[in-house]
Amino acid sequence: MNAVTPMKPWKTPLLRVLFFVVGTIKWFQSGLKDLSFIHFARWVIVRRDQFPHVKAEQPREDLRYDYLFFFSNFNGTWNQYIDAFSAVLSSGLNAIWSGSEKFPGSVPVTPFKDYIRVVQFDTDYYYNCYPKATTNDVKAALRVQDELDEFRKTSQTLPPEQFKKAFQEFLVKVQADLGSTGVAPVGT
Amino acid sequence: MIRTDNTKIDVSDIQGFALKGYSFPHARFLLLELLDCKDAQKFILELLPYITTGVRWAHKPSTTLNVAFTYKGLEKLKLPLVTLLSFPDEFQQGMKARGDILYDTGNNGPHRWEPVWRDEQVHMWAAVYANSPETLDEACARVRQFMDNTKGARLLQPQDACAIYLNGVATPNEHFGYRDGFGNPDFKGAERECVPGQGKLMENGSWEALATGEFLLGYADEAGELPVAPIPHLLARNGTFMVYRKMHQNVGAFRNYLNQKGQQYQGGKDKLAAKFVGRWQDGTPLELSPDHPDQDIVKDDNQNTNFTYGNDLDGSRCPIGAHIRRANPRDAFGFTGQLANRRRIMRRGLPYGRYVPDGEPVDDQEDRGIIFMALNASFFRQFEFVQQQWIEYGNDAHQGNDKDLLIGNHDGRGKFVVQGSNDPRNPAAPFICAKLPNFVELRGGDYFFMPSLTALQLMGSGAVDPR
Amino acid sequence: MANESGQVYGLTILSPIKEEQRLDIDHATQLRWYLCSLPKDHTSPFAKINSTYLARLVVLDDVVFVGHPACEEHLKSRYLIFETNFDGDLDGYLTRMAKEVPEFVDKVWQHCVGYPGLNNRHEFIRYMKQCQVTTTFFFADVNDHTVQQTLTALQTQSALAHFVEKTQGKPPEELQKLFGTFLSHLDAAKPPLPGDRGEKFPSEDRPHD
Repeated sequence: MNAVTPMKPWKTPLLRVLFFVVGTIKWFQSGLKDLSFIHFARWVIVRRDQFPHVKAEQPREDLRYDYLFFFSNFNGTWNQYIDAFSAVLSSGLNAIWSGSEKFPGSVPVTPFKDYIRVVQFDTDYYYNCYPKATTNDVKAALRVQDELDEFRKTSQTLPPEQFKKAFQEFLVKVQADLGSTGVAPVGT
Repeated sequence: MIRTDNTKIDVSDIQGFALKGYSFPHARFLLLELLDCKDAQKFILELLPYITTGVRWAHKPSTTLNVAFTYKGLEKLKLPLVTLLSFPDEFQQGMKARGDILYDTGNNGPHRWEPVWRDEQVHMWAAVYANSPETLDEACARVRQFMDNTKGARLLQPQDACAIYLNGVATPNEHFGYRDGFGNPDFKGAERECVPGQGKLMENGSWEALATGEFLLGYADEAGELPVAPIPHLLARNGTFMVYRKMHQNVGAFRNYLNQKGQQYQGGKDKLAAKFVGRWQDGTPLELSPDHPDQDIVKDDNQNTNFTYGNDLDGSRCPIGAHIRRANPRDAFGFTGQLANRRRIMRRGLPYGRYVPDGEPVDDQEDRGIIFMALNASFFRQFEFVQQQWIEYGNDAHQGNDKDLLIGNHDGRGKFVVQGSNDPRNPAAPFICAKLPNFVELRGGDYFFMPSLTALQLMGSGAVDPR
Repeated sequence: MANESGQVYGLTILSPIKEEQRLDIDHATQLRWYLCSLPKDHTSPFAKINSTYLARLVVLDDVVFVGHPACEEHLKSRYLIFETNFDGDLDGYLTRMAKEVPEFVDKVWQHCVGYPGLNNRHEFIRYMKQCQVTTTFFFADVNDHTVQQTLTALQTQSALAHFVEKTQGKPPEELQKLFGTFLSHLDAAKPPLPGDRGEKFPSEDRPHD
């Protein structure tokens, strides 16, 4: 999902400070990690005089607002994604977007969704190196790989009975991480 | 904290079916086609005095009557176009058109449905419940009489449903042998006190009733706003939406699979059956009693739904993909269960078809299963979401693309993991059930709007005005 | 550094798109059509630059007018937004773009103002960096493994689940032997292709040993 919102220029330094604080304190990051359906997300403030100007012939931008860009790569449907954010990360969302013009707040959710529909724009090309895996699958798979690497180091030389016991213990460690990958449900 | 404390609901205006499970052992769902608009309106007005409301009963009646309409039914009643178009998209489309979202494809696809559903003929659902077959017939005869008098509707098909009787007593069991009917959500304004485990979980571990607007239109919902509802306000208020699904159960296939896997599973067949669902077949929740059934817990309403998954995140008591854990994850996703609060559905179901006791041969071609009905303020946010994201998919539970074992559309593939445990007192290996067949197949259904009594009066008088 | 999170680099580039009045089909539209036709799977140019996790290309026509009392304003140029997340460092990635997928780079950036072509790699890198905007806040759920490690892990996960189901209940000696075979198959397996949407991972029907 991509979104761009206008911000009055005096507000953007405050937002930068907020992001800096959030980056160091990590409460927002842990909320995002717990929600566990975003692979990558980023916020980019482009100040009104910072739009890349490459050649003299290119007209310089003459803008009143700074712009906050948001790009995210997430799993699940758009509605599920926004519902979840609104339900459990509303204060974080409000902190980030309250400086954007006409932001209605992230609760209740219907006006919030209406606002996002206005400010979002479409992607023309999207590439994902693991299209059939969600970020949960990735995390699970990495855990499985790590545990397997550990297990094989110690287990091969064990006598069969002990091997079986050790194998079972290894399996229990990864038992919640064996979901199949595949195509996600259609967007709604 | 969103405050929705000031909820007063007008029970005399709400159809009783939306407010409580009737617990009658017999039912007949009359699937009707509406004929000429004016005649159909007369028909509704004839029925109106007999429709059961949510008013508390001094004495339980011997029979009840409730009605609901598909979008096509509302079109037949010539509701104003502006009103029709203000209904939620998914209701306008009807359940058949939502097949891709609901995974009603392949074995569950419309080409395998009964014609009345496949061809989207149903306009109106009239549900008659009764305490005996004779009373049921009498009550249905009365409805037929009104149909004949007004010529407003035609019976397409009756769908009978009946509780499973064991030793002459009506039970709340379904055909696979599980006791059903636990865990319906509590909401503010409903008749009973909040039973622990049925509402929403609070930070301090207590349970509170959910916002009324999750289940009834015209009231504040969990997001602190009025749910999206059709106009005019008077048509929508005190109404709700209902999904109806005729779910055929392949009892033979289920019992074979359970027997086969139960032999391999170290905990035995009964425990494996419990692991599929999250409750022992007698209804004991695995979270509260992981090693054996316990009727004391089942009989106590303060216990039988009073549990959380926070201390069982690795699934060693109740598997992460078990049916009840998928359908209502409670606090399993963290955030004190807030991600589940807006995904609750109110279930009303009754088995249909001849019950065959375990051990006797059973033919899966025979018609038997469950008439599944669920109520919610928003199909899209509630029923469709649970069906699409939690039953037919597993990402939120970190189970990847694994589906619900019991009702998932597996088509011979897919798997279910029974998590084990490294507890030295009770070690158990994880156990995988793969090559899952469809234990349940969809035979039809649709989306319905269940209006309030006021709305029915308006509809019957042709007085719906979207101004 | 705000552009980085762990091992992952988050690159955001806004390249102004050329405007030429005399063209029947303007640059932005040509660019859009080209992007439409680009494959998204393992034949994508980004699969070639296999340190790429997720990449997107967006033609930004204009900023949005959110409604009164906000003021309406417009950009004077359209921009190509290139947003990508990859392992490693920026110079290395841009070099790979120039070396491994030059045709793609040309076809896209030829529509952008000031694109110097790929004859001089340093010029190209300088140009791209000139259009780079700094990320203010970058969140990466998994930032400590490479793309290749991740794809291998996904393959392992699927293979292990399949192995467990096939061997449950087997006696210890047999289990241990089968496990040894399983490991050697896994080690010898071809590294998975990034971007692959096909039936890559072992299917239930394929024999394991």
